Amino acid sequence: MVHTTMRSVAALGSVGLVAVALAACSSSGGTSSGGDTNAGAGKTLNVYIGNNSQYPTEQKAWFESTSAKFKAQTGATVTWETFASANDELTKIQTSVVSGQGPDVYSLGTTFTPTAYGTGAFVKLTDKEWTALGGKEKFVPATLGISGPDPANLVGIPFNSRPFVMAYNKDLLKAAGIDKPATTWDELGQQAKTLTKGDVFGLAIAYKDGFDPWKFAWGMSITAGNPLIDGKTAKLDDPTTKKAYDTYFGWLTRDKAVDPASIGWSNAQALAAFSQGKAAYFPMTTYTSAPTLDKSAIKDKYAYALLPTVPPGATSLPSGGKDAASILSGDNVVVADYSQNKDLAFQFVKMLTDPAIQDEYFKIFGNLPVNAQSAAALKSDPKLAVFTEASAKSVATPFTGAWGDTQVALTNVVVQSIPDLSKGSVSDADLTARLATAQKAAQSAVDRAK
Amino acid sequence: MSSATAPEAGQGVAAPAAAPGPAGPRPASKKVKPLSKRQRPLWMLIPGGVLMTFIIVIPFLIGVWISLTDLDQYTLRRWLSAPFVGLANYVESLSAGLPAAIWISLSFAIISTIVTVPIGVAAAIVTQNKYKGRALIRAIFLIPYVLPSFVVATVWRTMLQPDGIVNILLNKAGIGDQLWLSGSTAYWTLILVEIWAAWPFIYLLALSGLQSVDSEVHEASALDGASWWPKLRYIVLPYLKGPLALAFLLATLNHINNFTLPFVLFGAPAPESVNVMPMIVYVTSFQSLRFGLSAAMAIVSLIIIAIPLFIYLRAVRLDVHEEGGK
Repeated sequence: MVHTTMRSVAALGSVGLVAVALAACSSSGGTSSGGDTNAGAGKTLNVYIGNNSQYPTEQKAWFESTSAKFKAQTGATVTWETFASANDELTKIQTSVVSGQGPDVYSLGTTFTPTAYGTGAFVKLTDKEWTALGGKEKFVPATLGISGPDPANLVGIPFNSRPFVMAYNKDLLKAAGIDKPATTWDELGQQAKTLTKGDVFGLAIAYKDGFDPWKFAWGMSITAGNPLIDGKTAKLDDPTTKKAYDTYFGWLTRDKAVDPASIGWSNAQALAAFSQGKAAYFPMTTYTSAPTLDKSAIKDKYAYALLPTVPPGATSLPSGGKDAASILSGDNVVVADYSQNKDLAFQFVKMLTDPAIQDEYFKIFGNLPVNAQSAAALKSDPKLAVFTEASAKSVATPFTGAWGDTQVALTNVVVQSIPDLSKGSVSDADLTARLATAQKAAQSAVDRAK
Repeated sequence: MSSATAPEAGQGVAAPAAAPGPAGPRPASKKVKPLSKRQRPLWMLIPGGVLMTFIIVIPFLIGVWISLTDLDQYTLRRWLSAPFVGLANYVESLSAGLPAAIWISLSFAIISTIVTVPIGVAAAIVTQNKYKGRALIRAIFLIPYVLPSFVVATVWRTMLQPDGIVNILLNKAGIGDQLWLSGSTAYWTLILVEIWAAWPFIYLLALSGLQSVDSEVHEASALDGASWWPKLRYIVLPYLKGPLALAFLLATLNHINNFTLPFVLFGAPAPESVNVMPMIVYVTSFQSLRFGLSAAMAIVSLIIIAIPLFIYLRAVRLDVHEEGGK
């Protein structure tokens, strides 16, 4: 124990110690010259990006080809470093922020951008930077929704988009006499009940996933007009959120339209069940599920549709409700404030967000482009229309440093409810108590937000 | 116990080794101490001392300092000028789930140790005497110990899923399935997996203790016609007392230290019943990004655990030199 805590304390201290040492080594500020063609000769740009476990070899090849292109353009070398999880990335940002040294360019998940913004360690985008990037107007406007707290304070440059949609099994719907996928959450619940027969369930839900649950809670709440954090007030104990959880749990406990084993499933396991034809709907997925489904038993039987945008208990969007089809999901890139190669970094990000690489990135990895020209070209593809529509109807999660804690608090409501789910019902009192705990955690995070 | 005087405690430890008669050399070694004290080349400690200062003392002091500041995502960049908040983090840690986490950690660790000790000792005794296949059995016994914690946790997590192999087998046996990874059962799952992974450590230390039993002692007891029970009770177990006391302490510390197992088994946020101390410090640090608060949590835990640990160390005399003799 003493060892444990000693070590924990020492580890925290080490961050500081390393910082002192590194801060001594790094000189401050200053942008490099650069901007023109060979300004980068002899320089190295460090890029930190998520490891793509779905396409590891393709990603390696893409790194090489992109580096070669950038070298031809500027003479600079790009070194890539990948991270396996958000925690890895967070640790990297922490040590880099404290030491003032590290990658020049980071790729961040959109919902992580507020946390990164909170550190104040990334370059705020002024007209000069936007010009260097090729103009703000080159981006799909909705994708800029989670780049900063307000238009004057943006740090995140959209890189790709992964809007959430739902996948459905056309054959199963047809067999049940359902001619089009549900557009309201109530309708989805009804259809799911009808579609449940034998060992085939209406819905594939990942109750044990670390992220899925909060996306449902957010989606149902925002369409009912509750953004979960409104300025300096957390609203997790709002009746709309309670109704959201009640609906989410009810699919299993009341409607029996979900496989009871799903209380232990992650998103990948729910996808596996859907891909085996064991579920009619798989809500909360992105285009990245397509390669898996295209190799599965249902490869010719599935299609994607927008997630319902009408909250539970309603038949149309209530006043104040947002027509949100998805969270604003995907990746942003940010340039570190401590970087000695800022101009070069912006040149690099410009290249990443220009149509050539955007098109290529979509073709290889299935992430939608954020470049308006590239995105417009996809609209004509009927298979992709739903994704471009979902992308355009994406709404950003609240831009606050408190969002990370709020997300965990929302997920925790489901984590602590799993024993009740397994018994077949989550009592009103228990749900209220868990939401009160979540509200307390979120409000305390909001109060600390600066 | 706490007021144990040196001679009493000395007797306690010396007793198991009474047969070879170790009591004699002690006063003699005491006499030469002043001389050796003067001649000790203390300067040779400098390299180790410097290293300890840099990797333990200074980071620890920085950790203490961090615990007194409001260091979080907003102040991280200018961490040296993070607002000083005095003991506020310590006060907050008491209402932020730390007492429950300490209780869970301690009880989990002690239960795990208490269960693993007899298993480890039994395994050591089983593999003490030579027989055909002993080497293979010894190797098999070490499998849980050599597997990385991450692998152990991943495999168990897969087996204990609601539709996993364990529940399938339980259903076939007519026992009915269990929700292993959620709710209050998660606590017992954590203990179960920890026991599975940790008993070979006790086994190793017990085996080393058994091997230190002089063959003459075995021969003498055989000549005296001692049967297996008196032999075990009065000869073997007294020899094991020292190694087992050490094993008890180290194993308990290892259990409390174990972050990988609960993190991989249950993920974060974890069910409340398995929010052990390393988890709560981790979540506070790296999910909530409240470094000040988590440093305070770590230090409070350190103090709370250090007190009984100190008493225990004094009681089993692990913090002092071995008495004379072998």
